[in-house]
Amino acid sequence: MKSNDMGLIVKTMARTTIPLIGIFGVYIVSHGHLTPGGGFQGGATIAGAGVLLLLAFGLSEMRKRYNHKVYSVLESIGGLTFLGAAMLGFSVAFFYNTLWHNGPVLNGQPGTLLSAGYLPIMNLAVGLKVFAGLVSALAAIAAYRRWKE
Amino acid sequence: MIAPVFFYSALIIMVGAFIAVLRVLLGPTVPDRVVGVDTLNTLVVAGMVLLGAAYDRTIYIDIAIVYAILSYIGTLAIARYLQGGLK
Repeated sequence: MKSNDMGLIVKTMARTTIPLIGIFGVYIVSHGHLTPGGGFQGGATIAGAGVLLLLAFGLSEMRKRYNHKVYSVLESIGGLTFLGAAMLGFSVAFFYNTLWHNGPVLNGQPGTLLSAGYLPIMNLAVGLKVFAGLVSALAAIAAYRRWKE
Repeated sequence: MIAPVFFYSALIIMVGAFIAVLRVLLGPTVPDRVVGVDTLNTLVVAGMVLLGAAYDRTIYIDIAIVYAILSYIGTLAIARYLQGGLK
């Protein structure tokens, strides 16, 4: 009750589970055009790793690991990358998939990882944005307390 | 190709899940309900895997893995709240 974190079993379990959740979230994001899931689902899964860190190790450990400026910049980079991928084929139309029609990369056989034009880039951007946004929102909610001075 | 064997096992899992829901609805104290929800999560994961086998889609297993991870985090959050919250 008094300690800032949970017990030894939960902490050890979190140490092994957090990398697993992160890798699985990155898998969901990067295979967004092949399997169920995508940017938002994968980003929310990776944010689950942040929730697990906050729950298992407490707020003081989260304060050490979490930097508000870094996460704010990451979220902005995600949004700008999405917009940049949408602007790639601006000579034809907004959201024109020029990487798929005549691009140098990401135009492989449909069904493989490096296919579908700008979709993997947009999935990565949305995943980064959702992860950074959810983690910073949860850290802000956890740090905000009104009932104790 | 839909295999009926997996559907029957999913039906049995559903009966167990219904009993767990009964505990969530009737549970006199809060920890009873939490244990009911935890049991329900595990049964839902089992049901997802069985339905993935029944419909012969391997990609459905991904969703079961995500659900297992997130249900673990959710149960941990409720346990953390019940033991006194974030200090």
